[in-house]
Amino acid sequence: IQHSTITTKNIVQLDFCPFLGQSYPGKPKIIRCRSLEKETFSCWWKPGSEGGLPTNYTLFYSKDSEEEIYECPDYETSGPNSCYFDKNHTNPWTTYNITVMATNEIGSNGSDPQYVDVTSIVQPDAPVNISLETKTSASTMYLWAKWSAPLLADVNSNSHVYHYELRLKPEEKEEWETISVGVQTQYKVVGLQAGVKYFVQVRCILDLGEWSEWSSERCIQIPNGESPPEKPTIIKCRSPEKETFTCWWKPGADGGHPTNYTLLYSKEGEEQVYECPDYRTAGPNSCYFDKKHTSFWTIYNITVRAANEMGSNVSDPHYVDVTYIVQPDPPVNVTLELKKPINRKPYLVLTWSPPPLADVRSGWLTLEYELRLKPEEGEEWETIFVGQQTQYKMFSLNPGKKYIVQIHCKPDHHGSWSEWSSEKYIQIPTDFRVKDMVVWIVVGVLSSLICLIMSWTMVLKGYRMIAFILPPVPGPKIKGIDTHLLERGKSEELLSALGCHGFPPTSDCEDLLVEYLEVEDSEDQQLMPSHDSGHPSKNAKLIPRETDSDSGRGSCDSPSLLSEKCRESRALPSTLQTQEVRDIQENKGGKRSWQTQCIASEQKILLLNNESTKSSTWPAAQLPTNQPPMFAYHSTVDAHKITLCTTNVNITPVLVGNEEKHQLQYPVTETLHDDMVKQRQMENLHSTDQTTVQVKQSRPDDKSPFLNPELMDYVEVHKVRHDEEPAVLLKHKETNRKTEKYMVPGTSKEYTKVSTVVDHNILVLMPDSRIQHVPVSQEPAMETSQNLQQGQAEKNMSYCLTVPSECKRETSGSEYMDPSSFMPSFK
Amino acid sequence: CHTSGMLTPNGKEYAQKIPREELTHLILKLLQAWKEPLSHFNQHIEHHQELPDDSLIKAKQISNMVHELKTGVEKSMGIISNSLNGIASSEAAGLSISNEANMMSDSDFIHCFRRDSNKVQSYLKILKCRIMPENSC
Repeated sequence: IQHSTITTKNIVQLDFCPFLGQSYPGKPKIIRCRSLEKETFSCWWKPGSEGGLPTNYTLFYSKDSEEEIYECPDYETSGPNSCYFDKNHTNPWTTYNITVMATNEIGSNGSDPQYVDVTSIVQPDAPVNISLETKTSASTMYLWAKWSAPLLADVNSNSHVYHYELRLKPEEKEEWETISVGVQTQYKVVGLQAGVKYFVQVRCILDLGEWSEWSSERCIQIPNGESPPEKPTIIKCRSPEKETFTCWWKPGADGGHPTNYTLLYSKEGEEQVYECPDYRTAGPNSCYFDKKHTSFWTIYNITVRAANEMGSNVSDPHYVDVTYIVQPDPPVNVTLELKKPINRKPYLVLTWSPPPLADVRSGWLTLEYELRLKPEEGEEWETIFVGQQTQYKMFSLNPGKKYIVQIHCKPDHHGSWSEWSSEKYIQIPTDFRVKDMVVWIVVGVLSSLICLIMSWTMVLKGYRMIAFILPPVPGPKIKGIDTHLLERGKSEELLSALGCHGFPPTSDCEDLLVEYLEVEDSEDQQLMPSHDSGHPSKNAKLIPRETDSDSGRGSCDSPSLLSEKCRESRALPSTLQTQEVRDIQENKGGKRSWQTQCIASEQKILLLNNESTKSSTWPAAQLPTNQPPMFAYHSTVDAHKITLCTTNVNITPVLVGNEEKHQLQYPVTETLHDDMVKQRQMENLHSTDQTTVQVKQSRPDDKSPFLNPELMDYVEVHKVRHDEEPAVLLKHKETNRKTEKYMVPGTSKEYTKVSTVVDHNILVLMPDSRIQHVPVSQEPAMETSQNLQQGQAEKNMSYCLTVPSECKRETSGSEYMDPSSFMPSFK
Repeated sequence: CHTSGMLTPNGKEYAQKIPREELTHLILKLLQAWKEPLSHFNQHIEHHQELPDDSLIKAKQISNMVHELKTGVEKSMGIISNSLNGIASSEAAGLSISNEANMMSDSDFIHCFRRDSNKVQSYLKILKCRIMPENSC
């Protein structure tokens, strides 16, 4: 489609031309006319469209208003599409009317006429041959620019006077600074910055017309500020052999100009200044003083002067006494020799020679040497001072290693060390001493023999050896608790495993068990602990002691002596109790027997105790066992419950039943004396399920008569039952084994709660509330029951054992209640 | 330096050219010239509080050494008899010289002494190698 549009255009263009692509030419246009020097001029035109056919261009001109039309005289000189009017055809005062005609076969087309006034089209070419230079005069830098007038072809250029203009700018800047030069073809530019690059251009103009174009740019770098040279510095002066010396200096900045250096010196005591005799021998920037010019023991004052066009500068003076600046050359001819004396270790001899220049032979210069040594791979040099000798013997080098050695020297006084000599390598020959080898072989053989023997012995008598060397660690001699036994719960076995034989007192062991329930009554009753008849005098002794005005009463339901909750009215049937006590007392010889009266008392106590918390104190019933252990039991009992009115032996002892898996619950007891039973009991107290045995005092504010052993009564714990209704059953005194369970008259004698422990040795036991009271009729088993008189007070002790189910002891079974700890508390 | 007036060879060649006796004499003259100023100097610095004790001890040592050196040179050169004259004249010279020495500052004194001792050492070494060239010459 596009193609078609193009063709359409073409068709349109070819409007006038019936033939394809041909028409008469387009209109040319005169671009410009210019005269270089007012004597000639040229005109240039631009052709119009070609029209497809070759086109001729002709330029016609007429002067002023003349009619005559001339044709361009010269189409060539100024290039294509131009017309050059030479001198003959140029009249500066006429106005030319110029047209260009384009002609081709079809037709022609003429440009618009152009009126040219020569004078107005004058514009010279730019100047040429611009040269730039920087020059210094009178300590100032200026730029010297030169150029030439533009070239003219045939005209005598001398007649033309051009005016010039120069412009320059620093490289970084944008704006030009234009300077009118005049007719000169050179110019001096001042005030230029040092170190800056400048661009320069020139143009010219004739007396009339326009300025030429600017010439092409020329650039120039202004050098840095020039100044006198910087101060040189004298580096060092050295004498290699104490006969001549050389001084070196370091030049400063030269300030942009070539600088000359001169060394001047004067000697101590003299005023004359000399110049360096020899600048060359020792190299650039040096001065060599030969023998003639070297004096010793005099101080030289040396300075170096640097001079250039801008000025000069002198270094600081350097004072030198040649005797002190001697630094020799390194020693030469370093040689090694290996000497192998007979019967001795070979050693190395190192020899060297002093440097050639040093005159050691006359003694003028005496040198000392030092050498340094290191193994080839080593890091640190070992430096050895040798002194004035020129040889050295080395004994202690390792065979087989490669060493590097170097030597240097210095004058013996006042001088510096020379450079190190070049490295010398030493290879120590390895020396296999036969003797050494033999020794090593023997050692090796022996050690292997020993190893063989050792291993053989090990194999044969390995174990014994091992045992000998590493005796076995003895195992523990104490058998701990067998956890399996614990799990099984057979306490007998467990305890036997522990080594406590016969500990859980079975009912056979009753007689070994001495338990006393001590009942204490603060007021006036005293309970005489009844002793088992079979028991010795200890008890007897106890008795009187235990008797006091306030005897403990075996009251079934005594007011709580222990807990504050169990604050009871003291109005307990003391009378009752008294009776009982008396009864008890009567029974001194025998067991303490709880009267059946206690039943009654219990009931009474029942009545009396309406408090929520009652602690019934039981006198510690003394069981028919040997010693009068001081068991103090306290129990807090609910009102409804009557604490055990312990019959003689009817207090069910709490036995640790073997059948039952659990606990050995023994009330915490206190004994007057050491009591094995008690101990045992105590021992048995630990168990898996521990019932906490609480011993409480009837009244906390008691003076602790509670603990008065006299008033205590004890009851053997018969067993501890740990089934759904865990309970501690206290043993009746007189029932040896017959009854395991005793029902306390009026109550079950299961003490399932221990309310408190008092003083660590008194348990307050409390029968379980759930346990129903056994009707009295069940009592008959209890022949003797002591009345548990309600301790009014404080003295009464009741016991109850509570078995909180939560109080289970872990099977660790590691806790013992050591009865011995309780012992001394009773006094 | 107070001994600057003495004409001493300033270089190796000059020193080698001088005959032995003259050189020896020169050495002795130098040593003699320093005897008096050294003792004076020692007295002088003893009053200096700021100098460490080591310096004082050293200075004394040096004076002794100079004296011993002089004696040694004399003995080794066998010039005892000849030196009587020399000593007399040198003593006289030494007195005037030492006056001069007293007026020097301490640092100048030490500087001069250092130089002269170096001179003496060099001359002695040349002498030694001339007389006994075998030993490390």
